[in-house]
Amino acid sequence: MELLILNGIVNGLIVGSVYALVGVSLTLLYGVLRVVNFAHGEFVIAGSFFAYVLFTSLNVPPLLALPVATVAFFVAGWGLYYVLIPRLSRSDDPELMSFLMFYGVSITAAALMLLLFEADSRSIDYSFTPISVQVGPIYVSTARLVALAITAAISAALALFLFRTLPGKALRAAIMNPEAIQIVGVDIVRLSAFAFALATALAGVTGVLVALVFPAFNAFSGTEYTIIAFIVVVLGGLGNPVGALLAGVIFGLAEQMATVFLPQAMAQIVGFAILVGTIFLRPSGLLGTSTRK
Amino acid sequence: MTASSRPRDSADRIYFTLVALIGGALMIYFALVPVFGLNVAFHFYLMLWITMASAFNVSSGFSGYLPFGYVAFYGIGAFTTAILVKKVAFPVFLALPFSGAAGLVLALLFAPTLRLSGIYFGIVSLALAGICRLVITNMPEEITGGSFGLQLGSRAHPVQSFYVMMAVMVVALATILWLSRSRLGKALRATRDDADAAEMMGVNVPRVRLYGWMLAAFFPAVCGGVEAWYTNVVDTETAFNTLITAKTVIYAVAGGLGTVTGPIIGAVAMVWLDELIWRQFPLLNLLILGVATVALVLFLPRGIVGSILRRKPQWRRYVP
Repeated sequence: MELLILNGIVNGLIVGSVYALVGVSLTLLYGVLRVVNFAHGEFVIAGSFFAYVLFTSLNVPPLLALPVATVAFFVAGWGLYYVLIPRLSRSDDPELMSFLMFYGVSITAAALMLLLFEADSRSIDYSFTPISVQVGPIYVSTARLVALAITAAISAALALFLFRTLPGKALRAAIMNPEAIQIVGVDIVRLSAFAFALATALAGVTGVLVALVFPAFNAFSGTEYTIIAFIVVVLGGLGNPVGALLAGVIFGLAEQMATVFLPQAMAQIVGFAILVGTIFLRPSGLLGTSTRK
Repeated sequence: MTASSRPRDSADRIYFTLVALIGGALMIYFALVPVFGLNVAFHFYLMLWITMASAFNVSSGFSGYLPFGYVAFYGIGAFTTAILVKKVAFPVFLALPFSGAAGLVLALLFAPTLRLSGIYFGIVSLALAGICRLVITNMPEEITGGSFGLQLGSRAHPVQSFYVMMAVMVVALATILWLSRSRLGKALRATRDDADAAEMMGVNVPRVRLYGWMLAAFFPAVCGGVEAWYTNVVDTETAFNTLITAKTVIYAVAGGLGTVTGPIIGAVAMVWLDELIWRQFPLLNLLILGVATVALVLFLPRGIVGSILRRKPQWRRYVP
């Protein structure tokens, strides 16, 4: 039993760090643009397929796929922003209509991946040597530990960017007050395009990590990650990147613990229960009170 | 006084003539489908989607809530009919009202979510639909049939279920037509636009919202029951498929939320388009549905009827 719990904690941290990345990119997007990206999970899975294609056809290992995916998804996100968002912001209720539009984007992306890769589950047949490492009394796969290290590095870099650089501060300022930041002379359209591209790039990178951490993915796995991203974003407080990082890890731990203590099927309900519970009991999220200063 | 009420009367006359003409033509057309041996399946689903989109309109168009877990009501209705017919040996006609009742019960259970607004409501609704699916999937196999679902056996009767579906559609449309001109409908719209102002004017906001919500929940539940009878099989994968929500929302938005005719026209146009595409390129169906949704939001956010009414606001009085 203790081994199981220990296993749950370690895996919860690893899975949670991936969830944190999924959530932090979605929350940045919501915070700056006030759009709800329902297709976020599909972007993540597109990243997994990206790594899969690089590995199977060009023999590029997943670790090398990371920077390639960052650049490719950043450019794709930048382009997608100018196709979708300027027209959307002209509608009566952009925030609500964005939900519907990205629902369409999500169906489109899933359908495209279905056409390209068919409905079978895929996995990247890549392993590190040694395959697993002993951590205390338990064994953890090396791929998962590498993924944990990478997510930690990305989170640290992101925090540094958001709190120490000018564009990062501009992003946080845009989350807090999009009107005021324009008065100070920031081009909100370019900043939004940058936020969209950054969020998409983060989603793509997360997808590569998902391919390392989770056994398989298919064209329809996206919805799962979208729901996870919603849970993390709501738990962390809408538009709060630090909250999302924390919430991701907490949710990862909760989910893994639930699989230890609850029957398989009930474990899935835990996520939904967290989501509904947070919205009713603490709609501003975990760190809600501290951001309201 | 009489001078100012006269154009109102003549507008009403045109309005009701239009209602009678369009409604009559629709009813005669649908009633004759099985008689002339037209495609029963296509028209069955056309009526189903008209009903779903119209009922969705009560929630989103009249009340201003976008329930992205709308499929929950449909799924509960489908399983209620299937379980009652299969396990308790109810006749189908007796089981269908229970489906509607199940939808109402679920609406009452979800009523606290009406406190939320905007995207919070949408996300919670989505999560609740997920919980419903998981709960039913995990019920004992003797009740819900597990992953194989429930087969209703030899009770299928396409023509009978076709006319029942038609009756449901007519009742739904009549209810919404009544709602659009009733006190409740006006209160709903007022609450949607400004809840505080509506409350000041004496509208019981929570009660009005609850009534609207229950109306929106009742019809999809009955639709689920009728569809379960028509296809003869129910399982959690199809009964709680998110595509059902997607199609309902897209059809309603395509026609235009907030008008009675909008969802009807949207459903007719889109179901017809869907059938056409499905026949030509079955693989591209999902892709085109997705692209159509994006294009709708970007280029026709008010829908077909909504856009026409924006160009010709003076027609607003005549169009139901």
